[in-house]
Amino acid sequence: MNKPVLITDEWVMSYAAGALSDSHALLVATHAWYHPEVQQRISDAEAIGGALIEARDEVVMSQGSFDAMMSRLNEPVAGSEVAEIAEVRDADMPAPLAQWLGKSWDELKWKKMGAGLSRVPLQVGPDGEKLWLLKAKAGVSIPIHDHNGLEMTLVMKGSYKVGSQHFGPGSLEVADHEISDHLPVIGEDEDCICLVVTEGNIVPHSFIGKMIRPFIGL
Amino acid sequence: METASLHTDHSPRGSRGAIHPLTNQRLECDTGYQRSRAPRLRSQGRPARPMAIKDVSFEELAVRVAADKDQEAFRLLFDHFGPRLKSHLMGLGLPDRQAEDVAQDVMITLWQKAEKYDPKKAKLSTWLFRVARNRFIDLTRKQKYPEVNADDHMGHLVSDDETDAGAVAGQQRVAVAAALTQLKPNQRKVVELSFFEELSHGQIAERLQLPLGTVKSRLRLAFDVLRRELGVFQ
Repeated sequence: MNKPVLITDEWVMSYAAGALSDSHALLVATHAWYHPEVQQRISDAEAIGGALIEARDEVVMSQGSFDAMMSRLNEPVAGSEVAEIAEVRDADMPAPLAQWLGKSWDELKWKKMGAGLSRVPLQVGPDGEKLWLLKAKAGVSIPIHDHNGLEMTLVMKGSYKVGSQHFGPGSLEVADHEISDHLPVIGEDEDCICLVVTEGNIVPHSFIGKMIRPFIGL
Repeated sequence: METASLHTDHSPRGSRGAIHPLTNQRLECDTGYQRSRAPRLRSQGRPARPMAIKDVSFEELAVRVAADKDQEAFRLLFDHFGPRLKSHLMGLGLPDRQAEDVAQDVMITLWQKAEKYDPKKAKLSTWLFRVARNRFIDLTRKQKYPEVNADDHMGHLVSDDETDAGAVAGQQRVAVAAALTQLKPNQRKVVELSFFEELSHGQIAERLQLPLGTVKSRLRLAFDVLRRELGVFQ
């Protein structure tokens, strides 16, 4: 089996900076859950954020700022509470996704797309980016298609192949308009479940291609 | 890697960053001297009495906040980071008053969760940056920023046998700042637009009138430069 395909550093930097959309950030965090190396890279990029804060010009704090803060030391800080991760979650569901979904694999409501494919639409972001789950039956081929807009696909269960490249759990595929005749073939052993972010700014274009594009309009 | 001593000692602010090996202490003949000097050797954990607290590293101050709810240590951290956090938050677009409130919130989070801060794994500035980022996103978006380990701002990011890189981080406040100056201006620009304005690749491309691929490659190069300068990666 090939080494897993890991995310590139411009995404690590933007994730650390807080510059990713919620959907992209969830995809990166979920991907990082599989890979200590990616977590370390994120951590290093966040150290850059820390250094930039260190290098900031100081601005004046208001009079009595420290005392004002001390008077509410024991109050809960809005937004700092942490959502509980669902107590029972599937061991093979990455924690960031489990926290976001708040449900197990079995509780997901899959909608058929035909040709052995089904999906769960999750959200559409402010710039039209779509976050969704894709499930493909073991052994099926996804209809040949081109990409018109960036699409990031994270494998979580099962696997697929594109040419000689193998994508297993934790692997991330980034496909854009430079890739054409994209023909993923799902591994024989197990259904494949992926977390996908499809950018659809002006002309929504799907991962799956024209044949099933109408089904993706979330 | 010679990092053993780095696990227990972090550079103080100012120039006195040298690590004092224990053997030096034993070589001292003057017992009175040895006694009075002993607290300055921080390789044995926290000193018995506060020496000049201003000489203590931020990371050590945070550890004191966690262990003792030490208000003097907390005040020093607030005086240093409060104005910088506020500045950062104003840069992100918050008005003065709100930026100050959020800066206070970040420091309160440190007070309340200081025990989750592990100086072996990150500089304090990294931890505070992460808290500020998440808090700002809480305020300005509908959703929390997805994290790998949401319950732990540092997370258990590295297993025990991989802690060298994280441990070094405690030493690298100065190094990171110096590394930033090694960036080409156009690399620094995309880093700043990412961290100071939270612009996406597409937004940066639009702002700077650059192809998307150029923005991405500059961000990758910038990260490479910083990595190399910091020696975090092999």
